[in-house]
Amino acid sequence: MNAIAIVIRTLSFALAWWVLTEGRGDSWGVGAVTVMFALVVSLVLSPPVRKRISLTGALNFAIFFLSKSIQGGIQVAFMALRPRLDMAPALLEMQLALPPGKARVMLIYTLNLLPGTVCVGIEGDTLHLHVIDSRMHIESEMRMAESRIVRMLRLET
Amino acid sequence: MTILLEWLSAGLLLAGAGFYLAGTLGLLRFPDVYARLHALTKADNLGLGLLALGLALQAESLALALKILLIWPLVLAASAVVSFAIARRAHELGIAPVGQEEEQP
Amino acid sequence: MTSLEWPLAVFLLFNLLAALIRAARGPTAADRMLTALLFGTTGVGMLLLLAHAGNGVSMPLVDTALVLALLAAIAGVAFARLGWRKTEEHHDDPA
Repeated sequence: MNAIAIVIRTLSFALAWWVLTEGRGDSWGVGAVTVMFALVVSLVLSPPVRKRISLTGALNFAIFFLSKSIQGGIQVAFMALRPRLDMAPALLEMQLALPPGKARVMLIYTLNLLPGTVCVGIEGDTLHLHVIDSRMHIESEMRMAESRIVRMLRLET
Repeated sequence: MTILLEWLSAGLLLAGAGFYLAGTLGLLRFPDVYARLHALTKADNLGLGLLALGLALQAESLALALKILLIWPLVLAASAVVSFAIARRAHELGIAPVGQEEEQP
Repeated sequence: MTSLEWPLAVFLLFNLLAALIRAARGPTAADRMLTALLFGTTGVGMLLLLAHAGNGVSMPLVDTALVLALLAAIAGVAFARLGWRKTEEHHDDPA
């Protein structure tokens, strides 16, 4: 067992408890049991792996994600508020570069929140996307998201 | 300083409400289920994020501020999963998206 | 700055009411489900505003907001996986 992973997870769950109880100190009895229980369940469901995610990669991804979701919100908001609807919806097919598993799931969910894209399905290595405006540079956006996920999960060989 | 925070917070709350309005309008005006998903997953989530940030700035304690902010990533994760589930099902059922029926500029 | 929460909460309530038009029109079950999702995000926003407006007394509303957010998510996925059958789709035409 990876001792560092256990310490990190215990601290994270304890922090979550502290936040959920709004910092009150009178419930740490229940809290301790809950944290232990959460730790055991997390170790069973997702055992620690040797490759931990990259912290700088995660930060980089978070910044990318935040700025893009603001951009996406503004874009859709302008579309909805304009008196005449101006959109060019289309279905696109994209080739996935990421390996199956965690990374792909992450990409799909990220794309759903990024400007202009919603995933409608996946067949083999082909991702089907619905884009709200096909005049946008969807492919480069997707590649940017991909490269950041690769860096965060340390998938580059 | 507190005055500045209050103005910042008020601005964030108002901006958040604006995105909520856009999300609702999008839900009512956009032509098909896919486009409406775009409106909800982008505009409403941003509205909630701004609102939560604005309220967190005024929270009495750090723990409470973090708790309010915690709601945002939870809702984001939830809507990412839900929008994929709904969009995929719609696609499987063969609901065709509305093509470029609006005039090109 | 305590004057903004109530008007904004009422404003969000009107958003909810307007979204009911989409639920009434449909045309697919999914469109109606989208209204339910909007109730999730907008409801969470309203609860947070009211929790703050209540000045300490209504803090449990923050917990309610958390639970509402999670339930809306579960409802949405459960709907897409289990509840939305092909028969629902016959009267589908892009409005």
